[in-house]
Amino acid sequence: MSTHETRTVVIPNGAALAAFVAAGIGAFAMGLVSLLNAAGMLPVPTLYAPAGGVTGRTTLAVLIWLIAWAVLHSRWKDRDMESGRAHTVTIVLTLLGILFAFPPLWALFG
Amino acid sequence: MDTLLFSSRSIWTMVHGIALGGGGLLAVAAALFALIAMRSTHPGGAADAQSRYLAWLLVATAVLLWAAVIVGTYVSFPPYRATPPEGIADLAAYPRALIRSNPATAWLHSYAMESKEHMPWMAAMLATGVAYVAARYRSQLLSDDRLRRIGVSMLTLTLALVAGVSFLGILINKVAPLE
Repeated sequence: MSTHETRTVVIPNGAALAAFVAAGIGAFAMGLVSLLNAAGMLPVPTLYAPAGGVTGRTTLAVLIWLIAWAVLHSRWKDRDMESGRAHTVTIVLTLLGILFAFPPLWALFG
Repeated sequence: MDTLLFSSRSIWTMVHGIALGGGGLLAVAAALFALIAMRSTHPGGAADAQSRYLAWLLVATAVLLWAAVIVGTYVSFPPYRATPPEGIADLAAYPRALIRSNPATAWLHSYAMESKEHMPWMAAMLATGVAYVAARYRSQLLSDDRLRRIGVSMLTLTLALVAGVSFLGILINKVAPLE
């Protein structure tokens, strides 16, 4: 037996998937908040008047992202999970977020 | 008489667009390339140093992108959207009003700047997620193909977002620079 045995510690992938999916949720939240706000369906307070309403919208999305991350991390951190679904969910949420933040779309709801 | 070469508004615009946004764009491109090129085929195969450098690169990427969106939103955006006094003829100091005053350039606000207000925040969140995984999992990110593939997807979207909004920012700054 080799005296130079290498031990590799494999960390359960749950914490990684929580970080990935939470980022997708954050991107989705950013798009959805901007869309609903532009459509007049979600009033968001302005946090810094010189910069306008974008300060409230982005802060809300960041809070949603951080809360989602904290919740998913606490539930998944010690688990080893199937990653295919998390991959799909992350990409779909992000693409929807980008679509919702696309200004020409707002005109359809305005 | 002393003449300032650059105003503080112009300097902050360069900090936002070139140093932070441009730096973030370079960093995310480098991180994406590294994540693809440094793939390891067996657990523990990636050198500790390699995965440590990648983690630092991704953390730097996330920091640059967060700094770019915060400076952009809270420092550069207010003077861009300032309302000009009534009856003023020269709108050069009021970029949003200048852009909207001409039907040929109005889209630069309604489409380009409105996109720039939100999409870069998504890029910062995505990059932070990948940076966290790189910092926590180190060489496992390079040897676990499932994790690495998600990281590559997220960084690809990040790169597309940052490149897209950077291009829009260049167009806006060409027509109505903050000087």
